[in-house]
Amino acid sequence: MSADEPNDGLVHTEDRTPYVESTIIMTTVRTVAPFILTLGLFVMFHGADSAGGGFQGGAIAGTVVLLLAFAFGIRAVRDWLNPAAVLGLVAAGVGTFLLVAVGSLPLSGEFLQYTAYPVPHASKYGIELVELGIGALVAGVIVGLFFLVAVGFDPGEPLEDEP
Amino acid sequence: MTPLEAVVLVFVIGCALAAALLRDVLSAIIAFAAYSLGIAVIWVILQAPDVALTEAAVGAGVMTLLLLLTIAKTVRPESDASFEDVRPRSLVVVVAFAAVLLATVPALPAIGAETPVTTGEVTSYYLENAYEETEVGNAVTAVLAAYRGFDTLGEAVVVFSAVVAVLMVLRREVMA
Repeated sequence: MSADEPNDGLVHTEDRTPYVESTIIMTTVRTVAPFILTLGLFVMFHGADSAGGGFQGGAIAGTVVLLLAFAFGIRAVRDWLNPAAVLGLVAAGVGTFLLVAVGSLPLSGEFLQYTAYPVPHASKYGIELVELGIGALVAGVIVGLFFLVAVGFDPGEPLEDEP
Repeated sequence: MTPLEAVVLVFVIGCALAAALLRDVLSAIIAFAAYSLGIAVIWVILQAPDVALTEAAVGAGVMTLLLLLTIAKTVRPESDASFEDVRPRSLVVVVAFAAVLLATVPALPAIGAETPVTTGEVTSYYLENAYEETEVGNAVTAVLAAYRGFDTLGEAVVVFSAVVAVLMVLRREVMA
């Protein structure tokens, strides 16, 4: 909810009207978005055993939000998203990688030595965790960059291309 | 060269020319997206599926959306000509540059050929030991996240720093 809307407890539907009222685009996006998100997560989780990985999966998953924004309006999607969550995703991604890297030191391992962790298949799960961190980082960067270019990311700020 | 490769190459070169020559920016962006998609197919032909996924997602997908957003905020110049006027001087430079790059093509090894890069000590070590040592099925991931994990960590931190910098600059622009 943006700050310039009258605060009278009513839902102002005219402010929520989609950016382009194209039934074709909205229906297409509504149909394919779950599949694209699933593909992105698959590429991210399965990157250790097949083509892909955190970077590619994160990019695909992040694109889903961009698709939604194009179909249902950048403003509506931006209001629905929490900016802190997007920035948190970026920080959590890089933080996960750093924690995995540094965490092996107290366990008397080398920096980034996955096998120092006392879990079965530590190397496999360590790599998976790092890939997920990269995925979160990339998805957050893509979504954040998109909304920054589109409007600036402060929720109260009006869109430039709207009166 | 198989017919498929020839078709994709012609498609990519056509799209590249269209992106460079079309006067309308929107058309150029669409041509550029098609070009990226063609390049992604070429990566698959060159047996680099990881790179192909990146090219398709970032090059054809995200870049196109960001460029579209950018031109939505600009004014499109009214012009009857559908192609740019090419200056002879620029044409000479571009053709010379392309000729220099093309001159290196005959030196490239065939796809999958045994070259010092593919049979070298480091590569052989990765291919022989990656599966047992890292317990993942994708040697590319094994190199990226395990053997070269330090580099990948550096890349992640660089991306993080870059987005923080862009955030600060763009916010200041929005405020001003």
